[in-house]
Amino acid sequence: MTIFTEHMISWMVVIPFLGIALLAFARDQEWMRRITFACTMVEFGVALILWQRFELGTQGMQFVERMEWMPTFNIQYAVGVDGISILLVVLTTLLCPLCVLCSWQAVTTRVRAFLSLILLVEGAMIVVFTALDLFLFFMLWELTMIPMYFMIILWGGPNRIAAGIKFVLYSLAGSLLMLVGILGLYLEGGHTFDLMVLSEQTYSSNTQFWLFLALFLAFAIKMPMVPFHTWLPDAHSEAPTAGSVILAGVLLKMGGYGFLRFCLPLFPEASATFAPFILWLSVFAIVYGGYLALAQTDLKKLVAYSSVSHMGFVTLGVFAFNSQGVQGAILQMFNHGITTAALFLVIGQLYDRTHSRAIGDYGGLHKTMPRFVALFFLFSVAAFGLPGTCNFIGEFLVLVGISDTSFAMVLLSMGGIVLAAAYMLWMLQRVALGEPNTKAAALLPDLSRRELATVIPLAIMVLWIGVYPGPLMEMMDASVSHLVQQIETSQANLANLQSSASLN
Amino acid sequence: MSIFVLIPLCPLIAAVVLALGGRRWGDEGHRIGIPAMGLSFVLSLYAFFEVVTSGPISVSLYRLIHVDSLVVDLNFYIDQLTVLLLVLVTGVSLVVHVFSSRYMIGDPRYNRFFAVIALFTFSMLMLVMSGNLLMLYVFWEVMGLCSYLLISHSAQRKPAIQAATKAFIVNAIADVGFGFGIILTFATFGTLDIQTILAQAEGLQDHTINLFGWFGMEYQIYPIAIIPLLLFVGAMGKSAQLPFHIWLPYAMEAPTPVSALIHAATMVNAGPFLLIRMSPLLMLSPEAMTCIAIVGGATALFAAMVSMVQSDIKKNLAYSTISQIGFMIMSCGIGAFAAALFHLLAHGFLKAFLFMSTGSALQAVHANHHVANHYSSHSTPKTTLYVGALVLACLPPFVIFSGPYEGLWNANEFGSAKIVFWLIGLATVFFTAIYLFRGILFIFQHGPTIPAVGKAGTVTIQPQLLSPTHVIPLALVGGVMAYLLMVIWTWFVEFLSPALPVSPLPDVEVTALTASSWWILLPLGVAVGGWAYAMASQTTKSHMHSKEADWKKALYVFFLHKGYFDEWYEVYVVQPTLRFANWLWRTVDIRGFDRMVHAIASTTLALASWLWRVIDIKGIDRVIVGVGASSVGLGQWMWRVMDIRWLGSNLCQIFKGVDAAGQVIQETESRTIQHHLLVMVFWLVSAIGLLYVLV
Repeated sequence: MTIFTEHMISWMVVIPFLGIALLAFARDQEWMRRITFACTMVEFGVALILWQRFELGTQGMQFVERMEWMPTFNIQYAVGVDGISILLVVLTTLLCPLCVLCSWQAVTTRVRAFLSLILLVEGAMIVVFTALDLFLFFMLWELTMIPMYFMIILWGGPNRIAAGIKFVLYSLAGSLLMLVGILGLYLEGGHTFDLMVLSEQTYSSNTQFWLFLALFLAFAIKMPMVPFHTWLPDAHSEAPTAGSVILAGVLLKMGGYGFLRFCLPLFPEASATFAPFILWLSVFAIVYGGYLALAQTDLKKLVAYSSVSHMGFVTLGVFAFNSQGVQGAILQMFNHGITTAALFLVIGQLYDRTHSRAIGDYGGLHKTMPRFVALFFLFSVAAFGLPGTCNFIGEFLVLVGISDTSFAMVLLSMGGIVLAAAYMLWMLQRVALGEPNTKAAALLPDLSRRELATVIPLAIMVLWIGVYPGPLMEMMDASVSHLVQQIETSQANLANLQSSASLN
Repeated sequence: MSIFVLIPLCPLIAAVVLALGGRRWGDEGHRIGIPAMGLSFVLSLYAFFEVVTSGPISVSLYRLIHVDSLVVDLNFYIDQLTVLLLVLVTGVSLVVHVFSSRYMIGDPRYNRFFAVIALFTFSMLMLVMSGNLLMLYVFWEVMGLCSYLLISHSAQRKPAIQAATKAFIVNAIADVGFGFGIILTFATFGTLDIQTILAQAEGLQDHTINLFGWFGMEYQIYPIAIIPLLLFVGAMGKSAQLPFHIWLPYAMEAPTPVSALIHAATMVNAGPFLLIRMSPLLMLSPEAMTCIAIVGGATALFAAMVSMVQSDIKKNLAYSTISQIGFMIMSCGIGAFAAALFHLLAHGFLKAFLFMSTGSALQAVHANHHVANHYSSHSTPKTTLYVGALVLACLPPFVIFSGPYEGLWNANEFGSAKIVFWLIGLATVFFTAIYLFRGILFIFQHGPTIPAVGKAGTVTIQPQLLSPTHVIPLALVGGVMAYLLMVIWTWFVEFLSPALPVSPLPDVEVTALTASSWWILLPLGVAVGGWAYAMASQTTKSHMHSKEADWKKALYVFFLHKGYFDEWYEVYVVQPTLRFANWLWRTVDIRGFDRMVHAIASTTLALASWLWRVIDIKGIDRVIVGVGASSVGLGQWMWRVMDIRWLGSNLCQIFKGVDAAGQVIQETESRTIQHHLLVMVFWLVSAIGLLYVLV
């Protein structure tokens, strides 16, 4: 038992790879799917145990494991979770079984490869969210890109090659900058990649400035922040459903996670310097993304642009530098993961039926697909942050957090929420209500049991978090307040330094 | 855990059971909805008596959010104001449930309908019971969602779904104000608990907040003055006040029982409720109060006039609601909160009744709602309709001008505005009387019979002329009702006073009845005047249009088109937004950002191909090729020139040369060689040193 309890995270890393090995022996496609599904479910189970054993009120890392990897360069295999990362780990493991379920019938060619890619990306993401060593983090950050690339170019839509290449090149440009940043940290921080050691040191403001910039750009591209967002609509809309779900649900969160894990604690001073700029960029992204989504005629692109808008809330909350903002941002990441993934899932179910993503090809689905419309409706209203659904709590917290800084930002962001309501309801009106626009749309069958099983867990989460977010927030409370305190002290120190400097 | 939790819980359970059960229940949705609402109603009555006997109750359920200083509980606060609304909401909702169980028979989405009206009721109940602003906001929005679902009930009809989207989005825009107000409230008070806020408000009057704290800009505001205005913006949306009123007439696309619910019990009542709930805060902001009064008055008058010229009876009723709510808002704006609430309750019950009677009349005819084509079936209780209309017409003036608040006009700063509000009030009463009675006259009295196909086969409708003899008993009934209302009113004011701000009156005189009974007569007279005008214009109707003056026609057309609000919004708001969105996407995003990225890519490609063609092929490659070619050339030259024979013949000479050189070296002094060697070593060392320093 101890080998399990003491190495929980390592098990979570290993299980997907074991699954890939098992897949090699499966002959039948059905068995491959079953094995993968079982594997992701076991993974989810382990994550739940992790959740359950997680000690509330502890700010530091838990379940830490360390091992020498490349001692010459002080590179370790070091993993652990705290209140910030555990939510994202759980989110990852929650979405992966659904990805397997949603591609059960949608993917029929090269099944083995497809399923291995899902498992590969799952394992990589777990490490990204738990890594305590920058080198390990970087390696696995890069590794997530490869399965996604193949998923897009092999199983994607008509324009998949261009989208895949754009995605990879964009991400590579970002990770190159990140590599520079990480090497810079290695040199400046005493030749170690250990995050714990690095975060205990203080860096000169010039160093902070450049290293922050390098890491920030990498995360901003992943996030994506306007103006680095143009890879997202293409990648999202061309990827197969499972790919979109992973991209939107988890991969985008790596950017926000990076801000919280690296930028804020390591470079508090530079964060404060850049904060106004980033905050206004986020507000711009919220409104801009909302307008762009309003103009879309393609369902997946609409959701993709809405993601741009929603991720604006995340950066807004992160750089508010207070508990409400940061907790709101984490919650927003989690909630966005759920609602957007759910939206991609339901849109995927439509796509499976008609192979069309155009809004104009549907209409009047409420008659033939009542269950589908009910779920679609729920996720859409959740996506624009209707009170009582999960996104509202996150957005509200972010807005309260940012009201410390500027009320104008609050007002503009709320304008973004109105836009979100407008594009979501307008889309619903054109897809679900009214009369069918095409003959095909009038004949579509309602959701099957498997399809229901894919989205109902998410529907429950949407409502549950919406009315009772307490457990999630308790989870991250200690870590977030520690982080905020850390930033506040260093910024206060900075202010003291500046004032004493000006006195001299 | 208090038993009062069940008041909202019953409808919620009903809604969930119906929503999950779906078609499994057959068309038996009402069997779940009605008992749930009944229980809720009984519990509301119980809560009412509980509050009457032992004062406000607060119930806390669980902690919703706790981050740092932001603590929000899910808690109920049930006071005098709340119980009155609880009784109204559950009562009307119960009646609507019962009514719909017959009205909606045969509807394909029968159970969905019951699920959503239960949810609708649930959210309104939660709203009135909320102990904090966030919870109020949450259910404020959920209610908006329910209205969306209900308006789009017949989801294949385009007007219905457009109306639903419109209602939601108009409300969402207004709710930005509300939401912003909540955040400002939190920033000011550090809490969202309503009672705490109201208690602290007075002490924070001089508190300022820098509203635009960026780029070092200073713009100090007094949040206590601004917050009421922001909350009012939210109320304007929900209560369909100018200029957010446009959604309500379209909401008539919903089935009639829903209209009854929206107009009488839920949705529109939320606005006045919010204002009354926050009244102590409102009283601290004279600017907001003035603004509220003006918006309310303008809405009341405008909507009454629009209603007068509409020929569709449902539109007629919609604008009448807007007008009445405007009146309530105006009452709030001049500080007559008790009057507003009284009006709200009475209006709620009456409107529900009116809607259901017109609903059954319409169902009997089962076609469009054009007044001129409509006649009642026998079942419609005509006399009660008259009484209802009469009370509705007279109620606003009654409450607004009745005794206790007469002192208010002079007590507040509104002394000078008194006349204006008076005139608005009276004019509204006049118009209200006209359109209400005209509507009734149309339905019951006018024109020949068209056989209307109802559920019970053909119903022949008899035109009944309203003889003047009807007027006298009606007036008597009206008088008696006014007296009764007076009695209720005095009790009401006393009952409500703890829930209201420190009473604007020095002391609530129970003798109001005697002191100001003549005030009642004036508005009553105005109402009767309106009625008489309606009668008169009815009889001479046929030849009127041609004789009207031009400005009158223009006015008529203006109001017939509801002040062109819809067109204006379409042209100046909706279309530009969509066009802007499209432009932003196509021009800025695709041509701008995306092309920038592509530009980077194509520049890189161009650079690569330049590198390849120019540097690589023309440069390095040519050098390599050149080197290769020249070495081949050299080889050939060497082969040609320095062939073996030549080498052999010259070898001897080379040896001779070497021999000679050796002799020269021998001849040179050995010291010189050492010297040369030393210099070389020195340079070598310094070069290495330099390299080391440099690198």
